[in-house]
Amino acid sequence: MLKILIPTLFLLPTTWLTSSKWLWPTALTQSMLIALGSITWLNNTTDTGWTALNSYIGTDPLSTPLLVLSCWLLPLMLLASQNHLSSEPMNRQRMYITLLATLQLFLILAFGATEMIMFYVMFEATLIPTLLVITRWGNQTERLNAGTYFLFYTLAGSLPLLVALLMLQNNTGTLSLLIIPYAKPLLLMPFGSKIWWAACMIAFLVKMPLYGMHLWLPKAHVEAPVAGSMVLAAVLLKLGGYGMMRLMIVLDPLSKEMVYPFIVLALWGVIMTGSICLRQTDLKSLIAYSSVSHMGLVAGGILIQTPWGFTGALILMIAHGLASSALFCLANTNYERTHSRTMLLARGLQIALPLMTTWWFIASLANLALPPLPNLMGELMILTSLFNWSAWTLILTGIGTLITAAYSLYMFLMSQRGPLPQHMLALPPSYTREHLLMALHLIPLLLIILKPALLWGWFAC
Amino acid sequence: MNPFILSILLLSLGLGTTLTFASSHWLLAWMGLEISTLAIIPLMSQHHHPRAVEATTKYFITQAAAAALILFASTTNAWITGQWDINFDLHFFPASMLTMALALKMGLAPVHFWLPEVLQGLDLTTGLILSTWQKLAPFILMCQIMPVNSSLITFLGVTSTLVGGWGGLNQTQLRKILAYSSIAHLGWMILVMQFNQQLALLALIIYIPMTFSTFMIFKTNSSTTVNTLAASWAKTPALTAITPMILLSLGGLPPLSGFMPKWMILQELTKQDIPLTASIAALSALLSLYFYLRVSYAMTLTISPNNLNATTPWRLQTTASTLPLAISATISAMLLPLAPATLALLSL
Repeated sequence: MLKILIPTLFLLPTTWLTSSKWLWPTALTQSMLIALGSITWLNNTTDTGWTALNSYIGTDPLSTPLLVLSCWLLPLMLLASQNHLSSEPMNRQRMYITLLATLQLFLILAFGATEMIMFYVMFEATLIPTLLVITRWGNQTERLNAGTYFLFYTLAGSLPLLVALLMLQNNTGTLSLLIIPYAKPLLLMPFGSKIWWAACMIAFLVKMPLYGMHLWLPKAHVEAPVAGSMVLAAVLLKLGGYGMMRLMIVLDPLSKEMVYPFIVLALWGVIMTGSICLRQTDLKSLIAYSSVSHMGLVAGGILIQTPWGFTGALILMIAHGLASSALFCLANTNYERTHSRTMLLARGLQIALPLMTTWWFIASLANLALPPLPNLMGELMILTSLFNWSAWTLILTGIGTLITAAYSLYMFLMSQRGPLPQHMLALPPSYTREHLLMALHLIPLLLIILKPALLWGWFAC
Repeated sequence: MNPFILSILLLSLGLGTTLTFASSHWLLAWMGLEISTLAIIPLMSQHHHPRAVEATTKYFITQAAAAALILFASTTNAWITGQWDINFDLHFFPASMLTMALALKMGLAPVHFWLPEVLQGLDLTTGLILSTWQKLAPFILMCQIMPVNSSLITFLGVTSTLVGGWGGLNQTQLRKILAYSSIAHLGWMILVMQFNQQLALLALIIYIPMTFSTFMIFKTNSSTTVNTLAASWAKTPALTAITPMILLSLGGLPPLSGFMPKWMILQELTKQDIPLTASIAALSALLSLYFYLRVSYAMTLTISPNNLNATTPWRLQTTASTLPLAISATISAMLLPLAPATLALLSL
């Protein structure tokens, strides 16, 4: 673990000590080497499942895919930000890379934590760099409101989580993820335990986000600069899913009744946010609501607490991370050229930027869960486990899949097909950097088709 | 001010607090409180500004009333229990009176009303002394009379965190913001004081560097309102970058040091089986966080418009010492990993 943590930590001196000519290549190379090194974590061959274990951090088949995703994302974020930051003074560019690197550090520590309070501290710690990236480097005045919504929605959920974790520690004597599955059964009280269950889950449900508590997400995703949007969509939402999966083991007997309203909200959210996507005029907002939709399905899969549900949730989290981040990068290529997020203003781009259309096509197909991409694998597993629980959910998930396909197609057709507007004549052609960025997003997604067992979590057998 | 007079006043201030710390007789403790009150009065009114004199008068009257109440309570206790020793438990009636008197001294809700107005009338340095040093003596007396009427203490604590949060929301004057911040933090300290005095002391010890850093940052920028702070990005860019960390630490966000007392206090309250109080206190910290966040928005996260001259001032090497601010800022932001060591040091 230190093989990855220490180079990530030393990304901070790197950004401040390299000369301005070599800043971006150096940061990119270092983070890319860290990302390639992190892929070795996917090799979980120990008997207990916990690898790279010491008193504080360790990896297991659940956290490894998410760790590799977050490590993989840092070079991609740097690639995406290089252009829009090039006009800023050097110190601000260094500050931005520092924020991204600190965020990376906290994410690795969060996913690798073996003790719940450490996970909690790192979970909260990721808020600060993200808040600074959104509110300082966002482009419109609404970014301040976005930052406030982001911070306060998450904190209002997670402060009760802290109290709930401390109550759990009081009860079982430990909060170590290695010991908790074997701890004595919980002392349950009729009403108080239900509040405690809700306190444990609400923090992660707000982070995921669950449909009723999702208002921060469109604001934060839209107002954030591209690296902020990427990391939010790809990794930070998954922190919620990961936390839920970890905590589900402890909450067991209570969950049978308590999950009902949340599964209902999650599935309804899939349809509602999907429908909103069909009416969006703002491209980033469309992708943000699509994230809510997919994560609603993930939430449903986790709350159902079956092996297929968990596996589907994990695969969908990783696949959605890559696909959503790719879509945000594509939206950013539009934004950098037109300085507008309105879809009407940047349409018919297949004529102007034909090579980018390939990436738009693949990313849209990934978003709508085309076989044999892992997105479909995740969705199908969650769909099946929900159907096993109750046949009626098929109506909701089926309509959800249909609407997802509809808005993904809408997004693709709106941005790529049709006539090119008359006012867009001087668009710079696609840079190699942008092609590299998209390739690095989508080629791993395609490679996962060959061995999805890497992402199956504990049930890879 | 004449340096001799200044040194007499500052040394008397130190004497008063030390006397209270060292005393085991209630009269001596009261005397220490009175000495520190009297010593800070000239410091407060040194600028002879009507607003400062108003603040001094308000401070004197409230502190004198509180001190008289302390005297009365300790005398009543001496009459009922027959002895003046601080170490012996108080009878419940003088104990409640004493708690309210010390609450008035420190500025806990619901007897907090003097603190924002007094702090607003003072210059930043004297305000710093009021917020940090003057809290020590009543705090230590409060620690020593525990445990006392539990519902009163919990009421004082929860009300203070709520009032500290809501009261600060409408402020644009930085000193009033810091006054409400002080009320909220003292509320947290009181909540845990009845169970574990070391954790209350930890909260105070973490609070003091954070407040010190904030006052020093405001002093460096010579700013007393949020709008003036907005111009600091041109004057002190490095300090502007650090200030959100200090402010968010005051708000209690991990991984900054301000999280440490909140975490420990929530843990203690949960162990004592009052998780509902813990949750209410935790959520009220969000109110305070909002106005800290607003200050950091105005200062760092937005670049306020400025005329061309003000954006490129010459930034000469400052003659003021920057070491205290550097040390306290580092402590305010980066002490959380050293939490076990800090806690171990406090249990001694």
